[in-house]
Amino acid sequence: MNALSDVHFELRAGEVMALLGENGAGKSTIVKVISGLVSPDKGSIEIDGTPANISTVSLSQAAGIAVVQQEFSTVGTMTVAQNLVLGQQGAPWWWSPRKLNDNAVAILERVGLAGLNPSTPVEELSVAEMQLLEIARVLARDAKVIIFDEPTAALSDAEIVRVLDAVKRLASEGRSVVYVTHRLGEVFEIADRVTVFRNGKSEAPLEVRELDVETIVAKMIGRELGHLYPGKSATFGEVVLETRGLRIPELRSEINLTLRRGEILGLTGQLGSGTAELMEALAGVGEIVSGEVLVDGQTLNTRGRQNGISAGVAYCSADRKKDGIFAKVPIRRNLSSPWLHRLSAAGFVSARQEVDETNRFAAHFAIDAKRMNSNVGTLSGGNQQKVALGKWLGINPRVLLVEEPTRGVDIGARADIYAQLRRLSDSGVGVIVSSSDTNEILGLSDTIATYFRGEQTSIRPADEWTESALVREVMHREDANHV
Amino acid sequence: MSSTASIATNFIAPSQRGSVIRFVTSYTLPLLVAAVFAVAAISTPDFATFANLRAILINTSIVGIIAVAMTAITISGNFFSLGIASSTVLAGIVFLAVSGLTGSALAGLGAAVMLSVALGILQGLIVGAGLNPVITTLAVGSVIYGLVAITTKGAVVTAGSVDVAWLATWNFLEIPLPVYIFVLFIAVAWFLTEHTLIGRNIHLLGANRATARNSGISPRATTIWAFIAFGVGLGVAGALNASQLHQMQANDLAGLTMDVIAAVLVGGTAVSGGEGSPTRSALGALLIVALGNIMLLHGLDNGWRVFLVGGIVVVLVVALHVLRKVSTR
Repeated sequence: MNALSDVHFELRAGEVMALLGENGAGKSTIVKVISGLVSPDKGSIEIDGTPANISTVSLSQAAGIAVVQQEFSTVGTMTVAQNLVLGQQGAPWWWSPRKLNDNAVAILERVGLAGLNPSTPVEELSVAEMQLLEIARVLARDAKVIIFDEPTAALSDAEIVRVLDAVKRLASEGRSVVYVTHRLGEVFEIADRVTVFRNGKSEAPLEVRELDVETIVAKMIGRELGHLYPGKSATFGEVVLETRGLRIPELRSEINLTLRRGEILGLTGQLGSGTAELMEALAGVGEIVSGEVLVDGQTLNTRGRQNGISAGVAYCSADRKKDGIFAKVPIRRNLSSPWLHRLSAAGFVSARQEVDETNRFAAHFAIDAKRMNSNVGTLSGGNQQKVALGKWLGINPRVLLVEEPTRGVDIGARADIYAQLRRLSDSGVGVIVSSSDTNEILGLSDTIATYFRGEQTSIRPADEWTESALVREVMHREDANHV
Repeated sequence: MSSTASIATNFIAPSQRGSVIRFVTSYTLPLLVAAVFAVAAISTPDFATFANLRAILINTSIVGIIAVAMTAITISGNFFSLGIASSTVLAGIVFLAVSGLTGSALAGLGAAVMLSVALGILQGLIVGAGLNPVITTLAVGSVIYGLVAITTKGAVVTAGSVDVAWLATWNFLEIPLPVYIFVLFIAVAWFLTEHTLIGRNIHLLGANRATARNSGISPRATTIWAFIAFGVGLGVAGALNASQLHQMQANDLAGLTMDVIAAVLVGGTAVSGGEGSPTRSALGALLIVALGNIMLLHGLDNGWRVFLVGGIVVVLVVALHVLRKVSTR
């Protein structure tokens, strides 16, 4: 995908600049450009008023730029103090344990880890402490510009406060901070200015103190639903899936959902809100504490995918490359993979039946029959997603669970995938879609359930929502305690 | 912004990525085998004689049957068995001992296959539970070697007065039985891989374990099946080998594990799983054995042969790695 076009981005010394925008809007690309992972095709980059070359990671680091990644770069078996000098240029080859610890204590204090024993192995720290240690590692390098890529996505409220405090302290030391987030509350709490990304373009930076939530949300949405989405369903059939008192570790309350034939139920929430884990639990690959899932009134055994598949529960995960497709295997054999046993008699696969049925399902998803023997890995993201969805048609699905149905899919193929989901729903399949893209959820779903930090916060018909209300619901709950 | 919402219904043509490696893996090996045989026929006296070519085929049948069987493990994403030599020796000793006791080579063959399959199931259970296949098979191989050495006290085992040699010497058109068994083994393995649920699932498991699990394919059961297939090959090959030699002892077949791994790799099966075929492993075995034969005819001793096989594996692993990198860029 063409990620960015015509971006103007500036950062003043000692300010916190927030980057906001939907998934795929271009936030992560600008982070990659600044950190030297990606070189822009055109344009110039200036640091302190002079043109700078930061086309590689080491050049970017030399220019005083550091990135605090979402993934931790610490070594779990080593101590906090050892991790702080790990990979540090100019560090001597040997320090006495005492010198190592003294060096650590000074840095830890600055990120709010004053009480932490520097001899603690990193694997014994909490997630928030690891995140703070990650910041400390950057501090040890004495960076001028520090980029945070959604540092609070996996943290609880109390932990978030510690990270935000550390960010504020960095800015007060005169360092510049770029802060990528999905949470509006954090923008108002720590940022001086905000740059909003939309469809790979950026708005001019805005002063946060002159803004309110409504204005920011309007800037972020900025596009009409248009004819990207198919029509909605007028009538629903009988209940096809039901959860009774379902409890999973990542959600604080019981989940009671009902899904009817012909209905598309949309689950939406930010990363870490619990929607992904809920979908995994329904699919039989996640953990369930208590409660039950019923399909067609029958209790579903939610241990392992096999039971779900025999009950007609199809599941498309969020990361198709990781666990949705076989990239090195031809399209046909991808399509037949979940229901190959149905094509087999005494263990022998009927090749003719496989060709007939996969051709039929390929036609349903507009997959070219001539390409059936090409490996799926050679296809575009949209076509890979069609294969990831289409392979479930053969189990005669009663329920279709789809996570992030259009991640990494271009706009044309998106409309196609939405139309297919609606067609399946019209044919009587119950569909549950989970997505962090509120626009998609609003355009596609008949009913919407929202999630915020481990809690189901509402479940209502889609026509009772406006997009800005929905964005506020999942990004900026009034009761979020640190706002 | 909504003006771009046109509907794409056609697939974009697949890129040329991967076509290089596909070409290399599908045509290079047969051409290479042909080239080696042609060059050897011209440059090495005694190579292109019927007796020598038959000897190559007989030797290939042992290495080849095991390589074909082990391809199931490699394709399933469980790398290799590193306990091949001692497992084959065990199968051979059981063959000789049971044949000697019962007076029937067929009973010995049955016992060898059954014991090998049982050991396969055991290792499949361990690996299927998520343990490292390399460590597991290496350890089990070491245990087997130890048990064999203790039980036989390092002595040579024979079938006594019972005739077990017919299994290796019975022939049709002057080609002995092991070669026919090898060919049959290839055909059956090909059919199982392409046309049965288990064969297809073994392939899918190796192609992407997480996707396989999400598609309802049991990694554990599929892994166990791959090890069962491997056990059948070991049992048959062990019996045939013992029948050729009339005797067996714990320290036999030292270079076998490396030969089999080399055959599978030369055949182009991906070390990471999901790609490859038993037929190509058989061709790989033919190449490895032929190269050893040529060196022998040139008066080079076994040290040179082991050196060459190791060298081929190193070069292949590096070459395939580089090729995959380039073709998926």
